[in-house]
Amino acid sequence: MAKVLEGPGMGLMKKWGINVPDYVVVTSVDELTKLGQANEWLKTSKLVVKAHEALGSRFKLGLVKVNLDFNGAEAATKDMIGRQVGSITVTQVIVSEMIPHQEEYYCAVQSTREGSEILVAHCGGIEVESNWDRVKRLTLDVGRSPSAEGLKKLAKDAGFTGPMAEKMAEFAGKMFACFDNEDAQYLEVNPVVTRERDGELVALDAVTLLDGDAKFRHPDWNFAFAAEFGRAYSKHEMDVMAVDAKIKGSVKFIEIPGGDTAMLPAGGGASVYYSDAVVARGGKLANYAEYSGDPPDWAVEVLTEKVCSLPGIKNIVVGGAIANFTDVEKTFGGIINGFRKAKSEGKLNGVKIWVRRGGPREKEGLDAMRALKDEGFDIHVFDRNTPLTDIVDKALQQN
Amino acid sequence: MSILANKDTRVVIQGGQAGVNAARRMAEFCYLIKKPLNVEAFVYPPDAGKTNEIPYGSGLLAIPIYKTIAEATTHHPQINTSLVYIGADRAMKGGMEALDNTHINVVSMITEGVPEKDAKLLGVHARKLGKVFNGPSSIGVISAGACRLGVIGGAFDNLVISKLYREGSFGVITKSGGLSNEIIWICSQFADGITTAIGIGGDAYPGTDYVSYLDMFENDPQTKAVVIVGEMGGDLEERAAEWYGAKKRRVKLIAVVSGFCQESLPKGMKFGHAGAKEGMKGEGSARSKSDALKKAGALVPPTFGALGPAIKEAYQELLKTGQVKEVVEPAVLPRLPKSVEEAMKSDEVMVAPLIRTTISDDRGDEPCYDGYPASELINKGYEIPHVIGLLWDKRLISKQEAEIIKRIMMLSADHGPCVSGAYATILAACAGIGLSQSVAAGMIMIGPRFGGAVTDAGRFFKYAVENKMSVDEFLAYMKKNHGPVPGIGHRVKSLRNPDKRVKELVGYVKSLNIKTPCLDFALEVEKITSVKKDNLILNVDGTMAAVLVDIGFPVDSLNGFFILSRTIGLIGHWVDQKRQDSRLIRLFDFLVNYAAPKRREVPPLK
Repeated sequence: MAKVLEGPGMGLMKKWGINVPDYVVVTSVDELTKLGQANEWLKTSKLVVKAHEALGSRFKLGLVKVNLDFNGAEAATKDMIGRQVGSITVTQVIVSEMIPHQEEYYCAVQSTREGSEILVAHCGGIEVESNWDRVKRLTLDVGRSPSAEGLKKLAKDAGFTGPMAEKMAEFAGKMFACFDNEDAQYLEVNPVVTRERDGELVALDAVTLLDGDAKFRHPDWNFAFAAEFGRAYSKHEMDVMAVDAKIKGSVKFIEIPGGDTAMLPAGGGASVYYSDAVVARGGKLANYAEYSGDPPDWAVEVLTEKVCSLPGIKNIVVGGAIANFTDVEKTFGGIINGFRKAKSEGKLNGVKIWVRRGGPREKEGLDAMRALKDEGFDIHVFDRNTPLTDIVDKALQQN
Repeated sequence: MSILANKDTRVVIQGGQAGVNAARRMAEFCYLIKKPLNVEAFVYPPDAGKTNEIPYGSGLLAIPIYKTIAEATTHHPQINTSLVYIGADRAMKGGMEALDNTHINVVSMITEGVPEKDAKLLGVHARKLGKVFNGPSSIGVISAGACRLGVIGGAFDNLVISKLYREGSFGVITKSGGLSNEIIWICSQFADGITTAIGIGGDAYPGTDYVSYLDMFENDPQTKAVVIVGEMGGDLEERAAEWYGAKKRRVKLIAVVSGFCQESLPKGMKFGHAGAKEGMKGEGSARSKSDALKKAGALVPPTFGALGPAIKEAYQELLKTGQVKEVVEPAVLPRLPKSVEEAMKSDEVMVAPLIRTTISDDRGDEPCYDGYPASELINKGYEIPHVIGLLWDKRLISKQEAEIIKRIMMLSADHGPCVSGAYATILAACAGIGLSQSVAAGMIMIGPRFGGAVTDAGRFFKYAVENKMSVDEFLAYMKKNHGPVPGIGHRVKSLRNPDKRVKELVGYVKSLNIKTPCLDFALEVEKITSVKKDNLILNVDGTMAAVLVDIGFPVDSLNGFFILSRTIGLIGHWVDQKRQDSRLIRLFDFLVNYAAPKRREVPPLK
């Protein structure tokens, strides 16, 4: 699942015929000033300025300013760009036309096992959250498109009448077209509003989640995907993502500031059980990591270096189930190189390393890990006879 | 008994190298259970018409590759299952092709990163046809003692210690590939092993979910209990719970779910498989799944670590109630033949080496010349002549010796286009022949009359010096036993038209404070021969030979100095002709003396 920021999200909606406010995304006041000279609407409309970053609660943080004239928008832009929020620096703002309106509605399309669901409500904004029963659904099997009648019935069920029902049906139809053709996993517009000027429905906000795996058939997805957890990716995380994009198999890395138990497990399934075990034992995770699908040893080495660089860690959990085809000796070779490098850089002082693994060439791999003891590593190595997550118990009992 | 994959399963594998690797693993399993290989064919258009070699025991099987599924099933109508190893961008097309084939009932997709929409379309299409679509991102399916689809089960040793050669009583369904192996092993250690284990893949919308397989297990009398390894996200575990709780089931259900760590992590932070994501409204959490399964009556151990004891408990219960009996293991199991390399590593065989080398070794991270790492030689200031010394004579030569070799090479690198070697290379280059063959053509010219006299010259000068011969004795000896003295005489150069290269080399070597008995002797020989005929001078071959013998190079290596040096020139000539895009050369008639008989009538054949 790949989150897309508001700007490119609205771009995709516009592509499928959905009315969106005029908007520009800028990285400096200068850019906005120049755009103001080229675009009449920036001078004549009331404007909204929002930080264009993967941040939650932008209103509370003062990163949304409304009802501005152009000078006000320039001032707001100047104020927001460069602001530091946690680990994120605001580098972009989206400046959009304010749409005077009375009513607010809700429309979304979401993925289901059989296909998708179109959701429509005759209320919007925060009102819809507390009135979830007012949301009406139209369920569609994959490969099917909604009929005009079906959409109209949906709008009517949700409480739209007369020409508004027609308009909402058409709006929902376009939302579905965008969802289906753009390989979206979730599209939400909240609120949908009636533009006073012409009575047309306009999408005031866009939540867009796309299927990152479908990127190969969307050459026009020229935007970067945003982190989904309310902060930007760190440099180390992006380094690992860059490696991941290059290799057979995969390596993954997410930092969790403040933790002291570092994770370096194998496999997308086992890695979560390891994380669960740390939390269940009252430990604090310093990161999430995973390598799987027999990645090259150099990629595992890069991942290991990142894990060893986490601040304030006391334990590193090198766990893993019994691999099907990942070569334990080779991937451990990458980990061992990473450990040696970290040690030579003065890292890993007082850090205990806990290993458990099985799979092709497990004996050779585990023996190589054990041999690290002779190089002065505080390492504890277990084979398949020790249950999967017992090394976490052992590690956290020590503390 | 088993579900989904059994002894009658016959497989076509769609895809390239990954599919071949899977077939190799499948062949290991077939060998273990003493059944013929269950892979009948591959479908991989780029290699259609060829075969893939699959080791089986100590032999190799050739499995045909076809362009389409239809071709494969026409030639192998017993095929009923397809494994898809095609890249994510073409996986749907391949999967559909397999589903639409009337012979095929089960399609299992290993491909990762398949778009959700494609996976849904495949799932819907399969259900419509009443077929099974398993995956995407599935590690495979294994039925103990009967059939392996994909690499599930791991290496051969793991198959044996996980007792996959015979069936047990536990069914396994997991999203994770790595954990499938873990559970199979736990079932073999804490209970009597598995019937069938299925990886359904970690995507959000797998083609077939737990419930469909639970139904199949429920109808398989051999399976007494099913272990589910779940993950947060989606509602597959809730559906499984619903199925289990709906009515009294014959099979016991044991389940664990991962993702509890999410409760104490920053919201929205997503771990693990693509499908492992909490819903927008918090549904699909590990806790809600775990609770639902417990409520439905499933055995839900609190942690993954407690799964083993839980399985053991279930097994003891089955033993007590007589639903299962203790298994007697076979006394002897097939052992996978080791490769020669593996057997040597464990000191089981000794192999007589085919060749022996004493000069170099590149098995480490860089080549070593006579034991010295190449990079270290570079970093300590050694040069090409030193490498020649190491590889040709196994010794580190001095700076002075290296300088002599460098000068010899510079002087003999080329001698213009007219000499045999260069001319042959140019002829070949003009005929459009490639670099290595053209240089080889020039190389072939090197022999007794052109450039190849260095070794012989060195041999005879050395012989004379070692036997303390006078020049007269030497010339007599040569005349009697060998003929003209190699290294003496030149086609165009003479006393009046001396070879500057010889002068240069002799001058340099004589300026050094080293002993040069061979060179001195050769110059004495020249004094006598050049009086007899003025082109019987010491030529460049003879000079090189004498000097090289004087600095200790073995006689057999001497021609090498000319060959190596002249290669520089030959390559130059080839590149030069290529650069000019030269035309084919044909000899002119006027350059040929036609001394053949005049045209005449052919007599009748007798």
